[in-house]
Amino acid sequence: MNLIVFTKRVPATQEEELRITGEGKAVDLSKVPFKVNDWDNYSVEEAVRIVEKSGGAVTAVSMGDAESDEVLRRAIAMGAKDGFLIETGDILHDPNARATLIQNFLKKENVPFDAIFTGVQSEDDQFASVGGILAAKMGLPFVSMVIGIDSFESDHAIVRRELEGGLQERVKVMLPCVISIQTGINEPRYVSIMGIRKASKVERKVFKAADYQENVASKIEVAKWVYPPKKAGAKILSGELEGSCKELLGILKEKGVYQ
Amino acid sequence: MSYALVVAEVRRGVFEERNLDSIGICALLGKDSILLVPDGDYVGSEQLVNGLIKAKVEENVFLNPLTMVNILEKVIAARGKPDMIVFTSSASGTELASYAAGYFNLPIITDVNGYDKEQGIFYKSYYSDKIFGEFRPTGEGPSIVTVRSGSFREFAVDKGSAPSAETVEDVAVSSARTFMEYVEEEKTDVDITKAEFLLSVGRGVGNKDEIPDYEELAGLLKAVISGSRPVIDKLWLPKARQVGTSGKTVKPKVYLAMGISGAFQHIAGMKDSDCIIAVNKDPEAPIFQYAHYGIIADIHKVRDKLKDILKTP
Repeated sequence: MNLIVFTKRVPATQEEELRITGEGKAVDLSKVPFKVNDWDNYSVEEAVRIVEKSGGAVTAVSMGDAESDEVLRRAIAMGAKDGFLIETGDILHDPNARATLIQNFLKKENVPFDAIFTGVQSEDDQFASVGGILAAKMGLPFVSMVIGIDSFESDHAIVRRELEGGLQERVKVMLPCVISIQTGINEPRYVSIMGIRKASKVERKVFKAADYQENVASKIEVAKWVYPPKKAGAKILSGELEGSCKELLGILKEKGVYQ
Repeated sequence: MSYALVVAEVRRGVFEERNLDSIGICALLGKDSILLVPDGDYVGSEQLVNGLIKAKVEENVFLNPLTMVNILEKVIAARGKPDMIVFTSSASGTELASYAAGYFNLPIITDVNGYDKEQGIFYKSYYSDKIFGEFRPTGEGPSIVTVRSGSFREFAVDKGSAPSAETVEDVAVSSARTFMEYVEEEKTDVDITKAEFLLSVGRGVGNKDEIPDYEELAGLLKAVISGSRPVIDKLWLPKARQVGTSGKTVKPKVYLAMGISGAFQHIAGMKDSDCIIAVNKDPEAPIFQYAHYGIIADIHKVRDKLKDILKTP
């Protein structure tokens, strides 16, 4: 079983203050730490588990700047055999453009696969679209929001999709296919610094995005970046910690949930 | 005639409420909306749209992206190209939309939460909901959009009567992907939807070893403990305790959120609580926009201080 898994290096913006620069032209991420996209971490783990059980190899592919090599080393440390970087300095916001470039790459480099794994979405743009577009363009079946793989055979897989409110849907999908993985599907293995160091010894291949540009045209544009509209927002209990905590308890009493 | 096509989400015989946002955005854009629905016996919102198309397939077949593109092909052959195709922003809506965008080679903007009519701009959130991008389709249409639940339903207008339905028949059904069955979540003894007071923890908790201290605090406060998606994904709390679109929707008297930044999927599951109190060290965390009260501080320090106060007789 040959599995291709996509992994992306993304800014960890959860606890960072973000600034828009150039009157909406750009978002300053220069002080933000970067990490592997959460969804891709689960997706790499799931692909590695499948080949550990039934044989074959996982090839990790990342599109981004040279720094993205970091997420490839990580994938190799987790059990991927190869790491391919499609290097580009440009950020392609349009999922259509990303998917077309990936399709061109897979075709031109003739990368063999039985299934392609992606994360459901990447944390930065939250588009959740590249997997579906890629599948349709390549004429492959597609399943997204996969929260469980019940079986993975040579010609088909039985998977569970996560719907809303705790409901799941079990579907059968024929291989080759594209599967988009939801977080929580597994418990990704711990990757040590030693493991990553060891993975650095495995050669990663670097390809230039410029070589796969056929029909890669953006169908959407970002006119501007803006801050979300502010609502009235919370009344902040400020001052000394002791004071705000007592105030908090006062609110709980007032609401009748704590005596 | 120009029109916008709304692909409805019907799941287990229920016309999902979030379809109203898909209809609403058409009204906001000033476009005639044609609602595409599967066969079946359910109550829709036909009086809110200008036209209705029934695809003669069951909902599970309808919601299969490999079959949906065949349905769309038939609709377009019969009515001409729409200006826009609208899907819900959900597990199935997004899956259908992205596959259709690739199949028909169309521009796509997902999770749209606002529209500026003058500039023709769709708003979409980026970077943990801290930044919005103003997006504009530039490629040949129709454009595909998925809309965030709750964003546009207020714009839907009751037209007084339902339009007569057209039908799409003889749809080619994909065998490359097939529905097998629904799987229900296991029943457990806790039901967080019944709690009056939830102490909910998020990614900010940092690691699993901190959880028992929050459970102790919940015990002292007589609150029930719940969590956001990252905490459940990491197995720090069981799935039955998850608040959010893929977990439970809760409306307690008090929702005390500690270390939860407020991803939209979480907000959607708790925003109707009577009183929301958020504790987070990041003053820019979106949750402060929805909370009634907030403390900007390290959550562990707040936890320890609350425990100190509560333990002092």
